[in-house]
Amino acid sequence: MDPKERGEILNDIARKMGAGGAGINTASWLKFVDAQNDGYRTGPAIGARIPAFELPDHNGVTRALSNLTGTNGLLLVFSRSAAW
Amino acid sequence: MIKLQNRGINAASVTYDGGDVLAAFSKAYKIGYPMLSDQGSNVIRAFGILNTNIPNDHPFMQGIPWPGEYLVAPDGTVLDKVFVPSYEFRRTASEIVLRNFGAGVGDNSVSIQTGAFTAAISLSSDRCFPGQELGVILDIHMNPGWHIYGKPLPEYYRAVELQFSGDLVGNQRMDFPEPKTKLMPALDETLSVYEEHLRASGTLGIRWSPPMPAPFLKPLAKTIAPGKHKVIGTLRFQACSETACEPPDEIAVELPLSINEGVPPPPKAT
Repeated sequence: MDPKERGEILNDIARKMGAGGAGINTASWLKFVDAQNDGYRTGPAIGARIPAFELPDHNGVTRALSNLTGTNGLLLVFSRSAAW
Repeated sequence: MIKLQNRGINAASVTYDGGDVLAAFSKAYKIGYPMLSDQGSNVIRAFGILNTNIPNDHPFMQGIPWPGEYLVAPDGTVLDKVFVPSYEFRRTASEIVLRNFGAGVGDNSVSIQTGAFTAAISLSSDRCFPGQELGVILDIHMNPGWHIYGKPLPEYYRAVELQFSGDLVGNQRMDFPEPKTKLMPALDETLSVYEEHLRASGTLGIRWSPPMPAPFLKPLAKTIAPGKHKVIGTLRFQACSETACEPPDEIAVELPLSINEGVPPPPKAT
């Protein structure tokens, strides 16, 4: 998908959603979904190591792989937002 | 979640939200795993999964990742990962357990007995949300001397297949192991066969259903009502022995599946 077209689709639908959803139809919504994940990448390969990280959790406690993992591993889920 | 924990796997989520948003979400939905706050999306960037399609000046979408998940070993090695082209569709924890740890299904299983074999069709769970994907296992134990067919196969024989149908069914796939090739002396033909034991695994995607009645989403999916549903699994096969060959046959079974009530929108952080 052309980056300019992609940007226009994303901005157009996001603006309409912000205004209550009027003017969005099924076809434009599907284009919006396509535009978001067009050419998506998936990060470290199977067999590779993930980058080291330290992040606060929802209680403000600093967490890293070493204090998150179970005895056999960790399922680490990346998601967009808990707010929308 | 419990299935993951029983296998020694913990879970955590990463989003760009601040701690207050995560605290409110975690409390409202009684989340049982740490929700990590990657404000500024630096960890998302370090993983190489920042969604670069989002325009830089977008007020709230800027900073989101491509949606996906990793199963990592305690030393950080990636064991498995799943990235999906659309955030509405997500795998269930039960499918990840099934895919990576094989046995231990049986939550939602039905068996079939014929003169030639005993089969079990199992789904990784008996409940899910619309848009989720379940794991599927098909186990067939042949009676002594019997076999069924696999692919490739001349068109006048039937290879074994399992297909799901019903209102809930979205995408599906089954992966069968490589069959053996066997010379049939009576027929003077070499055919692809499964003898003794066959285990095939796959996925069953449940159709997505708009969580909120936005008018522009209505044509995308017939709304799936929460509550008890059924999926139909049809096993098609042809069973033969050294001395007898049965005609192609099919057996349909019902598996119960409860569709969970949709979740309300997240609370505003205070």
